[in-house]
Amino acid sequence: MTTPLVEVQDLVKHYPGGGGFFSAARPPVQAVDGISFAIASGETLGLVGESGSGKSTVGRAVLRLEPPTSGTVRFEGADLSRLGAAELRAMRQRMQIVFQDPFGSLNPRRTIGDSIAEGMIIHRLVPPAAMAGRVADLLAEVGLDRSYADRYPHEFSGGQRQRIGIARALAVEPRFIVCDEPVSALDVSVQAQVINLLLDLRERRGLAYLFIAHDLAVVRQVAHRVAVMYLGTIVEIGPSRTVIGAPRHPYTQALVSAVPDPDPAMGRQRIVLEGEPPSPSAPPPGCPFAPRCFHPRRDARCATERPALRLLGDREVACHYADSA
Amino acid sequence: MTPLLEVRDLRISFPRDGTTPLVPVDDVSFEVHRGELVALVGESGCGKSLTGLAIPRLLPDNASLGSSTRITMDGTELVTLSESAMRPWRGRRIAMVFQDPMASLNPVMRVGAQIGEAITAHQSVPAPEVRRRAIALLAEVGIADPAERVDAYPHQLSGGMRQRVMIAMALAGEPSLLIADEPTTALDVTVQAQILELLDRLRRERGLAVLLITHDLGIVAGRADRVLVMYGGRIVEAAETTPLFAAPAHPYTRGLFASIPRLTGDGGRLVPIAGTVPPPDQWPEGCRFHPRCPVAIAQCAAERPPLAPVGDHHLAACWVAAGRTP
Amino acid sequence: MKSAAAGLGLLAALLLLALLGPLVAMDPNLQPALGDGTLAAPSIAHWLGTDQWSRDVFARLAHGARASLLVAVVAVSVAALLGVIIGLAAGVAGPWMAGVLRRVIDVGLALPRVVVLLVLLAALGTLPLPLFAVVLGVTGWPSLARLVRGEALRLRHAPFVAAARALGASPVRVAFREILPGALPPLLVAAAFGTADAMLLEAGLSFLGLGIRPPSPSWGGMLLEARDYLGTAPWLLLAPGIALVLATATATLLGDALRRSLTPDQR
Repeated sequence: MTTPLVEVQDLVKHYPGGGGFFSAARPPVQAVDGISFAIASGETLGLVGESGSGKSTVGRAVLRLEPPTSGTVRFEGADLSRLGAAELRAMRQRMQIVFQDPFGSLNPRRTIGDSIAEGMIIHRLVPPAAMAGRVADLLAEVGLDRSYADRYPHEFSGGQRQRIGIARALAVEPRFIVCDEPVSALDVSVQAQVINLLLDLRERRGLAYLFIAHDLAVVRQVAHRVAVMYLGTIVEIGPSRTVIGAPRHPYTQALVSAVPDPDPAMGRQRIVLEGEPPSPSAPPPGCPFAPRCFHPRRDARCATERPALRLLGDREVACHYADSA
Repeated sequence: MTPLLEVRDLRISFPRDGTTPLVPVDDVSFEVHRGELVALVGESGCGKSLTGLAIPRLLPDNASLGSSTRITMDGTELVTLSESAMRPWRGRRIAMVFQDPMASLNPVMRVGAQIGEAITAHQSVPAPEVRRRAIALLAEVGIADPAERVDAYPHQLSGGMRQRVMIAMALAGEPSLLIADEPTTALDVTVQAQILELLDRLRRERGLAVLLITHDLGIVAGRADRVLVMYGGRIVEAAETTPLFAAPAHPYTRGLFASIPRLTGDGGRLVPIAGTVPPPDQWPEGCRFHPRCPVAIAQCAAERPPLAPVGDHHLAACWVAAGRTP
Repeated sequence: MKSAAAGLGLLAALLLLALLGPLVAMDPNLQPALGDGTLAAPSIAHWLGTDQWSRDVFARLAHGARASLLVAVVAVSVAALLGVIIGLAAGVAGPWMAGVLRRVIDVGLALPRVVVLLVLLAALGTLPLPLFAVVLGVTGWPSLARLVRGEALRLRHAPFVAAARALGASPVRVAFREILPGALPPLLVAAAFGTADAMLLEAGLSFLGLGIRPPSPSWGGMLLEARDYLGTAPWLLLAPGIALVLATATATLLGDALRRSLTPDQR
């Protein structure tokens, strides 16, 4: 079996709580609390969760934009924490990121041509004479006019800026791209265009994606497998069609049920959760979902013993009683 | 039965220096009946938020309404009311809830006090009674431990709870119409479901009419009685929910459905609507959707299609869909 | 924009005075007519009259303009350079260094600029003009550093900065290519206002006898020398006084215009 392109093991990321001088010290925020997954070359793993689930933190930690508190991230077999600063920067050429915010992800004072060329300049991939041509090619590849290179970000719409951000990421010829909510801030009709672009690029370039989103329907469209996160842990992970079509973890079931789907004839049983998601600085002991869980067999064990991910059919579920109805 | 709210020929224009005025909303007409949930659906730039703001007359000062615009509620014409005559309507008969509760709540005031302000704005009520009512409202909107939460500051509450507080404030004046402008867009999906459930329950229990403004066709399904689809400042399709979802008539609506990812189905490629939404100062002549429309005919560029019946209680503004040329 | 037009107009007049004035005027130190030629009112021969040593006031004003402008520009440039270096480092450095620099800036802000200047100038004695300007500038860095630090702190969390890091940019590259350009507009505005400060400081110090020393002409020095003749020869006070007011107004108007054109429509 070939080594996976990306391998994450027991990733933990805590943020200090702050306070402490004039007010009581606040407990640390346990954003990510032990995550493991692997992504093969050319594969797309969807990472789904709501606010406080830690999914964005995972994205940044995988690219080592922030150092994890513990756990390992391997890219192309190499442990990122063992690389020196210069080696890590060189590695960055092969793993890139596309951000959620189309308005903040481009430097407003640089032309988009400059922004797209940035990576190629840093890694010296293209001689200066050929740069303009390369930038124009990339613009065309993401569906924008080649002559746009001299314009500034504020002259473009949200969807176009997202395409520019994608062009920038592609410029360095990565093998892996973390897509951090790439379409969440876009209008519905533009979302479809950008999603299709990402799919086309995947086919053409053999890219692997970690696709972070809160929208299950979008993830289903794009990802081969999906991992559902709740309060810093993965509660279910498996092929996206079946996990979403027939979820086994109670939280996944609630999430699927809550997704607005324009099909009133579906007559889905709507599961409406009680209460609020707990704060990541005060995670409950045992199963993180226990306080809101509606599974008929929820019991004291759920409140004290944290369930591990175990194989159930074609996916893994972190629940003591997922195998029973 | 006479409708609670009747909007006729709504036209909103903004003057511009040295050129023709901007008209982001152009000839919008619809009704809302008591206890009904009407969804106004469209993407950004279609004019839906302005339409919502026009009803309680909360438009910016430089906005003007068309000369034939009529907004009638319970028989009273709102457009011609003076500002001081309009004020008793806001909060009391018409209430609004906005998208971002953090922006609409005063961060340095306890939520109970803010709800209290909403209560006392329209009636003079002694202080202990105000507190009692505020707690009752918090309970009605589903906040646990309302007697404690009433003294919380907005930042101590989660996004979902803040939105519930906004709804409680909106209900304080016992309105008959609630206008909710993207009330769940900033919320997580599971919280969104809770809030929509709440709106539905309030509608049933209080007989509240709700005008739900949103870009999300999904949240409309199964909850709205009727749907109005807006594009380019106009209503392009209006129907009861089930027929609309079963057989959308207008090419824009069909395009929206084809471009939305689903949880079911074979998950084939999404079919995006070609092109992008033009800004209000670049709207084309004739049918405003025609440059992006896959079935446009010559007629569409020349003349604007009126809303015409395409089925039972189902209207669409499309020459092709109505199967007729003038 | 009216303030821009007014500011630019005044700036043009000021530059004209400073650059061309000394070319057409006579020697400012010439004392040709001690005795009757002193304290002469403005006339054709002497456009702004003469002072108590029969020196031509216009000539002294023009040469003084050169001195004031030179001092202001050099001082602000030095302050801005120091401010950018320290402020940028304080904003982007690692926690330990950033903490140290933050306190350095705090101390710099706490020391009153005028007192520091008085002490330095008293200790260093008479300085040639450029060096005096440098000393003036060296005391002006803290407020600019605080501003640059604030902008850097704000910008370091912007998504496009994270994007640059994700592309492999080194921290130095990020600081200079991503963060600094964003911090420049407020810095430029503050520098424009700072020019006015520098001019007033120089005039004050020269008035106290610590700045530009006589007989070199300077507006502050002229004000000093005009003290005893307020009633008898008011032009001695009015010329440098009005010039100072107009120069300060120029800097402020231009700073205001800069602020309005560079900020928030773009933010």
